[in-house]
Amino acid sequence: MGLICLVAFNSCGTTSVVPPVTRELAQKSATGPTRVDLATLREGRTVFVSRCIECHTLPAVSSHSAQEWPRLIDEMAGRANLKPAEREAVLAYILAVHAQ
Amino acid sequence: MKKFVLPILLMSILPAIFALGGVRHFTFLYEANTSSRGSLELENWVTWQRTTGPGRFDRVDFRHELEYGVTDKFQASIYVADWFYENDREHSGFAYSDTAIELIYNLTNPVVDPVGLSIYGELRTGDRLLELESKLIAQKNFGPLILAYNATLESVWEGNHLAERQGEFSQALGASYEISPRISVGLELLHEFVLPEWHDEEKIRNLFVGPNVSYRRGNWFVTITALAQATDTEGEPDFQLRTIFGIGL
Repeated sequence: MGLICLVAFNSCGTTSVVPPVTRELAQKSATGPTRVDLATLREGRTVFVSRCIECHTLPAVSSHSAQEWPRLIDEMAGRANLKPAEREAVLAYILAVHAQ
Repeated sequence: MKKFVLPILLMSILPAIFALGGVRHFTFLYEANTSSRGSLELENWVTWQRTTGPGRFDRVDFRHELEYGVTDKFQASIYVADWFYENDREHSGFAYSDTAIELIYNLTNPVVDPVGLSIYGELRTGDRLLELESKLIAQKNFGPLILAYNATLESVWEGNHLAERQGEFSQALGASYEISPRISVGLELLHEFVLPEWHDEEKIRNLFVGPNVSYRRGNWFVTITALAQATDTEGEPDFQLRTIFGIGL
């Protein structure tokens, strides 16, 4: 029972903080003003869940506005040792999830 | 000798103020995530142990560690120098202890996978000392809550011709909650099974438990844990306080 609760809790927590990249998400992004493809969104999610947790737990994407995210990521990109392409991919993923 | 204690303590701590890779939320446990590729971090450890009773003594251990992200899933560290200050009724003084290398390989992610796992290996050598340590690191993040578990197996050979040997199995459990982007608080529990000469006849078991707090800002962090012994093992510290200062280079 405990294991079932743990798995259920785990699934809910992970889905809400870092939703997976779906074709629907990618299609919306590809037709949006920033035109981001599926591979970039997947890369962005991978970087988000692996590099950002080196310093802190992951905040919900909805905890900050779409206007705040670029500044927040710029502040932390140096600390997280993000390359420009990684920084762009993380931002693209976050903004795509935020727009959902 | 005592007049040198403060300057030496400061010398060991000050580099951390000037000079981040991964923030540590625990000090007696490792976390599954590894440093990113190309990142370099200096960590200074200070551990104070107090043992009471007839053989009362204090010991302060110092470690200066350089940690490098070889790939995004593999990190290598060098303990440039482990040294200590010891003070009991008969003598007090500093001594070099050992130098070590540590390797950690990350297998799964603690956010998106059911459990984040890493494997750890360490080789330590010093004056009449050889130590091998392997560890399985498990971690799961639930939003602002981090749960971590370490299972460690340690083999030590020491003394003349490294004739004395000892084994130890330990497990550690930790929880850390992020109360703000900069501050986390939590608990750590350490359970040791000491095996002199690799035998378990003496049934030596130690249990330590206590709180921790971690603060991070810019490219540095500091994490402190205070552990009290919940068992009553003679010769083992009744109290331990560990501080780790980390800074990105």
